Amino acid sequence: MSELPQEVRELDGAILAFIQKGADHRDLVEFNNLALRTFEFQYNHIPLYQLYCQRRGITPQGLSSWDQIPPLPTDVFKSTELFTLPSHIARTFMTSGTSMPNERGRVHYDEGGLRLMDATIFAAASAFLVPDGVKTLILIIAPPPDIAPHMVMAYGMDRLKDYFGLPQSHFLVGREGFQVKDLVNALHTSEQEDIPVTICGGSFGFVNFFDYCRRKRLKFQLPRGSRCLDAGGYKGKSREVGRGEFLDYCEKFLTITRNFCINLLGMTEIASQFYDNTLRNSIQGVHAASFKVSPPWTRTLVVNPETLEPLPPGEIGLLRHFDLANRGHICAIQTDDLGKMMEGGFEIYGKARESEAKGCSLTIDEMTRAMEE
Amino acid sequence: MEVIEAAGYYLPQGFEKHVKAFTTEVYQAPEIAVHLKVPSVSGAMVEVLADHLKKEREKYLAHQPIERIIDVLDEASRRWLGKNYPYRELALKTIPVITGFSREVVEASIDAEMESSLREDIWQALRSEIKNPLYLDDFQYSPELDGYCRAFGPKLIVSFFSENIPGLPHLLFMRSALVKAACLGKVAAGEPTFAPLYLRTIEEIDPGMANCMAVLYWRGGEEEIEEAAFNQADAAILFGGIEACNSLTKRIPRRIRVLVHGHKLGFGVIGRKRLRHQGLEDLAAAVAYDCSMFDQRACLAPHGYYLEEGGEVSPQEFAQALSAAMAGINEKTPRGKISPGEAATINQLRGKYEFKELRGDDVLLVASPHGTDWTVIYERDPGTFRPSPLNRALWIWGVDDIFRILPTIKPLSPFLQNAAVAIGDEREKEFISRLGELGITRITSPGKMPLPSMMWHHDGISPLASLLRWCDVEKKDEIRGMETSKK
Repeated sequence: MSELPQEVRELDGAILAFIQKGADHRDLVEFNNLALRTFEFQYNHIPLYQLYCQRRGITPQGLSSWDQIPPLPTDVFKSTELFTLPSHIARTFMTSGTSMPNERGRVHYDEGGLRLMDATIFAAASAFLVPDGVKTLILIIAPPPDIAPHMVMAYGMDRLKDYFGLPQSHFLVGREGFQVKDLVNALHTSEQEDIPVTICGGSFGFVNFFDYCRRKRLKFQLPRGSRCLDAGGYKGKSREVGRGEFLDYCEKFLTITRNFCINLLGMTEIASQFYDNTLRNSIQGVHAASFKVSPPWTRTLVVNPETLEPLPPGEIGLLRHFDLANRGHICAIQTDDLGKMMEGGFEIYGKARESEAKGCSLTIDEMTRAMEE
Repeated sequence: MEVIEAAGYYLPQGFEKHVKAFTTEVYQAPEIAVHLKVPSVSGAMVEVLADHLKKEREKYLAHQPIERIIDVLDEASRRWLGKNYPYRELALKTIPVITGFSREVVEASIDAEMESSLREDIWQALRSEIKNPLYLDDFQYSPELDGYCRAFGPKLIVSFFSENIPGLPHLLFMRSALVKAACLGKVAAGEPTFAPLYLRTIEEIDPGMANCMAVLYWRGGEEEIEEAAFNQADAAILFGGIEACNSLTKRIPRRIRVLVHGHKLGFGVIGRKRLRHQGLEDLAAAVAYDCSMFDQRACLAPHGYYLEEGGEVSPQEFAQALSAAMAGINEKTPRGKISPGEAATINQLRGKYEFKELRGDDVLLVASPHGTDWTVIYERDPGTFRPSPLNRALWIWGVDDIFRILPTIKPLSPFLQNAAVAIGDEREKEFISRLGELGITRITSPGKMPLPSMMWHHDGISPLASLLRWCDVEKKDEIRGMETSKK
């Protein structure tokens, strides 16, 4: 594959340097400069996005602030390819889309974009997953990238393993599914040899493991410094109950206390990850309710679900993220997650769309379920 | 701030003493709040109530002549059609706060429901289903049988409503009264006020009849309460989601007659001969009306309209005309408030189709400029039926031949209900037959989808006759006391 254009390399260099400054600053001026520069690049290289912006009367010249950049609804990735450098695609991640296989969102990365993503993984995890600098044995309840090449979580966890894991760190989901005995053995070894572990994976994988522990009457006394990193949520349960139960199980089955349980929001459409500040607060001695932090190379807005206009702080609406590491596709992404703004981040309450029908007409979800039966 | 005290229940006179406690739920809207009083419900209470309703029926309703019952129902509908009727006024205040529907939408739906619930419609509905409504009163001579027949309704009907379409529950109380059955209705959390107000109207007109009826709310799936209700009932009528109905049906004893009205869907079809410049505005207004009534949440509403290509007006042109009509309706009868999830779904769909449009696909997106009030999306028939996110979002699917939609519709057979059909040439009869074969249970014209008559075989069944048990007397010789009925 040919080398990336000079313009891209320069832009990436600037974004990379900004990400590498870490999570301890809030440089809005530089963020804004880079956001506008990246927007201009995307505007010039994605003709459809350019038309989309023009319809809204927006051009790079007329823009002064990152929050005026037109956001792209996540569903657009399900039907339209939007990428700045189509001849440089190095990797494609896809959304899960279980019910409609043709309806999976596709997000492309070039080599430069992957380097940006890697940098965000390193910088964000340094601040929020290992703020204490402890190296652990990383055990991943997810398939490795060679089995799930399009799964962004597999890619990200692989990077975490390489950056922060002890040599025996590994994935626990193979072609035959979740190797639960492998996890049990690894945890026993960790107990005996006093090696702290990081268990990470999708929230639902954890729940499966806890069920297994309950059936087999298993409990682990994991060494100090061990931690849990779960990504996503648990469908069908309210936030409070779901999270509270989850944390109780971590303590009960793994002896990992709440301050060492970190939740992560990752999305295929967004290169960066949003960690909560639970462990970071704990290490820094900050006593405050935790929330998801938007690291310095990202910003998050909450918008009115009807009009998509930004809402005042404190109101609940849809989350809209801006991520400089999205240089390859579109920085501004409109999600359908419900949430609330916090100082430097946000709280997330789950998918707005998982709400029940009000009338007697068949709904999209209902029909999907009925047709699957 | 206006505060309205409303009841989320209706109990027969003197029964409130059996309620252990009441709670008040508060629904808030700008400048108005509804304080909804709801009784706490237990299995024991429902058992006593069901027994009470049956006794009241035995004492009163079972012996009322059908003519008298119809007069009461007719009078109730007429009162509700009166613009100044206090209960109507109350419903127009409370329902928008609780459901999010606009006042105008609630008003339009009450008018539509009540106008089709008048004396002549009711007689017609009975005649259509059982020929001679007097069978409900006594043995009548049946020339087909050359004997005597009488129809007996259930003693107690339990009805479940799981949606918030204003007006639907009143229909069930009407049906129960017509078959002289007591009725216990479980309303939805989403719209608990209309049915109680309707029963207060019945109470004004005929307290004895109202004493055979009750409305309660409990959280769906409370097995102890539901079991108590089913133990006493001999018929059940269920409205609701497919999963909710399935789960309920499993728990209903087999001796009980069950009528299920699960969630359904509708669509429209317009043939090329009907797509002409002349009358375009009216046709567009008719389609917009179908999609806007009840904010498209009722099963009667279309998810989309199939438009045949090759007419004077292309489907794309029609979509443009339709959007003007949608905007017009929205001004007069604004769409109600919707949840963040519903709004997000519409906005995501709009985004997806805007990009399809930008990249040159044969699609067209026309939508309200601010918010998600209405959305029209034209595309060529994708070959699979895509449900609309509702709340006034309508698909316009272009097809080269209307008969090509039949394979697309076929897999939806169990969910099909309404179709508006306007073909405009000799294929119409054949097309209608094919839709009937596929499972459609009501075919009408564009603009009439939300307005079924009382005579409609609701979801393909005879809603009144299905509740009846017949007793036939097959005796050629005269029976003493019956001769007067023989014609």
